[in-house]
Amino acid sequence: MNAATQTLRLPRAGERPSFDDVVAEQLDGVYRYLVYLTGDRAAAEDLAAETFEKAFRSWRRFDPRRGAPRTWLCSIARGVAVDWFRAETRRRRREEQFTRDEPVAEFGDGLPGPLEAALRELAPGEREVIALRILLDLDGPSVARVLGVSNTACSTRLSRALKRLEELIDDVDR
Amino acid sequence: MSTVDLLRAHAPSAPDHLHRRVLTLRPVERRRRVRPVLVLAVAAAIAVLAAVVHGFSTSSPSSRHTLTLGRVPQVKGVPTWTTADSVGSAGNGALSGTVAQKAFVPAVPSPSPGRLQHTDASITVRVDDLGAMTTRATRIATALGGYAQSVVYRTPQGAGGQSFLELRIPAQYVKQALSQFAGLGVLVSQQISIQDLTTTLERQSAQIAQLHRRIAALQAALRNPALPDAQRVLLQIQLAEAKRALGQRVHGRKGTIAAGVTSRVSLVLTTKKHQAAAPAHRGRLGRMFHSAVGFLAIEGMVALFALIVISPVAVALGLLWFWRRRVTDRLLME
Repeated sequence: MNAATQTLRLPRAGERPSFDDVVAEQLDGVYRYLVYLTGDRAAAEDLAAETFEKAFRSWRRFDPRRGAPRTWLCSIARGVAVDWFRAETRRRRREEQFTRDEPVAEFGDGLPGPLEAALRELAPGEREVIALRILLDLDGPSVARVLGVSNTACSTRLSRALKRLEELIDDVDR
Repeated sequence: MSTVDLLRAHAPSAPDHLHRRVLTLRPVERRRRVRPVLVLAVAAAIAVLAAVVHGFSTSSPSSRHTLTLGRVPQVKGVPTWTTADSVGSAGNGALSGTVAQKAFVPAVPSPSPGRLQHTDASITVRVDDLGAMTTRATRIATALGGYAQSVVYRTPQGAGGQSFLELRIPAQYVKQALSQFAGLGVLVSQQISIQDLTTTLERQSAQIAQLHRRIAALQAALRNPALPDAQRVLLQIQLAEAKRALGQRVHGRKGTIAAGVTSRVSLVLTTKKHQAAAPAHRGRLGRMFHSAVGFLAIEGMVALFALIVISPVAVALGLLWFWRRRVTDRLLME
């Protein structure tokens, strides 16, 4: 792949793509997913880098016949993010007596205010399923695989998240 | 525009510095991870190979036991029995004749001279007339200076039956006795064990001698009129303990001698044909296969045992994994 021209040779089915192709194709998607999951852009950058680092270390184990690279990377990203959540929870417990200015989350570039505010009110798990299905355009089974739940549970989670998002937008508008 | 369209249209993009940061990463060349299925296949192959090697190594032709047929040696002063003896003729005096051997003589090792040994023998003999042969067996025992400790006689309705005799035979005549018991019919099976008691006897004798010396020394010390009262009491206690220990050792020694002097013979007389399968006359390949299958069975039992031991741990790990997953879900849905 030519980094300057960004031309990609799409791999044939079952063929392992190159690393550079993977980075060029998937970095934005993984970053978006992590932004929506964590609500923290700075953390999302670090976690994205860590995700690709782990992916490269286990690149030999990736079997393109079993799934798309995007699904595989999102699974790794989720694991990295869960570790981050655990660490953050412990840190907040330690520092709960101090007031801290939490950074205001920005989920999109130029998102309308009410939508941005509504997204902040959603739980990370709700934003996560929205990011995977809508922003990354993964199909239902792939999202279910990343989340480790059944297809039905995944669909239910998505519909509830979107419904709650709409309700929050209506609340903010009022 | 719908909410979904808005989300897509304003999706965040990774900044350039993140692109540069990730592009500098390079994969680390690592050895291929061994697949668990491959490990299991190799382990199974090793197990089968070990079984085959075991089967091969234990399938060499075993030495045949040569059994000698012959007359029972006559012991002077010990009456022998005719096959015509029947129940009810006991106690009439001398009986004469020789026992006709119908099958091989039990292979009883000769006792080692100068050593005290206890012989424990079990033999099964198939006879034609159960009642007569049972009586004859008890007479053999008494004639050799022994006795029948117990006789259980079973004759279920119909033909046949069994009798179980627990006999005590003087050690010097046990070989004689076994030969004569075998002569009652067809010897079906035998099991003989010899336990050497000489070392035990010597140890007990040495302990007894030591206790005698100790008792003598304590008695001599107690005869001293100038002995302080506290010391006298202490010595008297020690003397009593020594005498008690001596009594125990003497009793034990008597038991050892009694065990060495008398042999135990469990005799089963039966009218039924022996049901046990005759040893299969297998060739080398058959013996190897049989031995290998037995070895595989042992390996299977070991694997099952390991599984039983590991399964609670596996269950605990499974519960832990499930709990962690629940915690994660709760963390993300708060």
